[in-house]
Amino acid sequence: MELILATAECDPSVDIICAPTNVKELFEFRKAIFEIGGFPITRSVVLILLVAILVSAFLFFGLRKKSVVPSKFQAMTEAVISFVKDGIATDIIGPEGARYTPWLLSVFLFVLVGSLFEVTPFINFPVTSRMALPAFLALITWVVFVTAGIKRQGLGYFLGIVWPKTVPVALRPLVGLIEFFSILFIRPLTLAVRLFANLVAGHLMLTLLLVSGWVFLSSIGDIGARSAIGLAWYAMGLGIFMFELVVIVLQAYIFTLLSAVYVQSSLYPEH
Amino acid sequence: MDLTTIKGAIALIGYGLAAIGPGIGIGIVAGSAIEAMARQPEAAGIARTTMFLGIAFTEALALIGFVLFFIA
Repeated sequence: MELILATAECDPSVDIICAPTNVKELFEFRKAIFEIGGFPITRSVVLILLVAILVSAFLFFGLRKKSVVPSKFQAMTEAVISFVKDGIATDIIGPEGARYTPWLLSVFLFVLVGSLFEVTPFINFPVTSRMALPAFLALITWVVFVTAGIKRQGLGYFLGIVWPKTVPVALRPLVGLIEFFSILFIRPLTLAVRLFANLVAGHLMLTLLLVSGWVFLSSIGDIGARSAIGLAWYAMGLGIFMFELVVIVLQAYIFTLLSAVYVQSSLYPEH
Repeated sequence: MDLTTIKGAIALIGYGLAAIGPGIGIGIVAGSAIEAMARQPEAAGIARTTMFLGIAFTEALALIGFVLFFIA
């Protein structure tokens, strides 16, 4: 959105292609809107709070008046909850999954709504495309699955990682080293980067297509009928909107699924 | 042209190379999952979940490549 506005200010009369401002702009922090006690409140922070409010309101109003014959809204809320509880938590973790359902449900809804902001008109900015947010969510997952492992196996959890009993003795140092890095470092890293990369790529794609559509169409006086190719960019942008919807739901699902799998592998290391 | 001016281009090529392996791997994972679903449609749910997991683990190298693309 802000990139679109930034490009709109440059002069399209010079050349057919008006170069968009630097891509690095997407990774820089915006000017703070206002500050509370030294904490700058940027647009991303406002949007993150909006996500939290939306998710809480969805769950609160969906389950406020619980009835045996649910209203349509309650049925929708229950469908989402049972998707996470039965489809992810108990399906992956097992009977103990019920304990982790609240956390998984919060993560799922937060990631889903935060990413859906990418295709929401007038917001057009996925908060999960700021690396800080996926990184923090992945850090929470890391803490949860390490805690689950320590609670279940004590410090033998770490011993089981660096000295796996199921592998022949000669291979144990090598496999242990790989497992150590894979479980404690690569896991949270890829979890965060997967979400971040998908959202950044989608956001960039949408921005570039819509910006080029806008630039072409607005330069109709300079390049005449050729500016109609802007329509093609707009059409492709709309196609990407649908594609991004699928990607967003899938990424929220995969993030929750992988969190559940990591907890499961800490609870039942023999599997 | 010194090396710093073509840094971005090198990073792009690096990302392209990093994407080859995971691309092939995800193709194999998805293909096998479809085969499994076609052979045993009643086990499609398990196959689908496992397919997503397999894709997620296979993707890891491409994702590391994506990160290196930015920090290179």
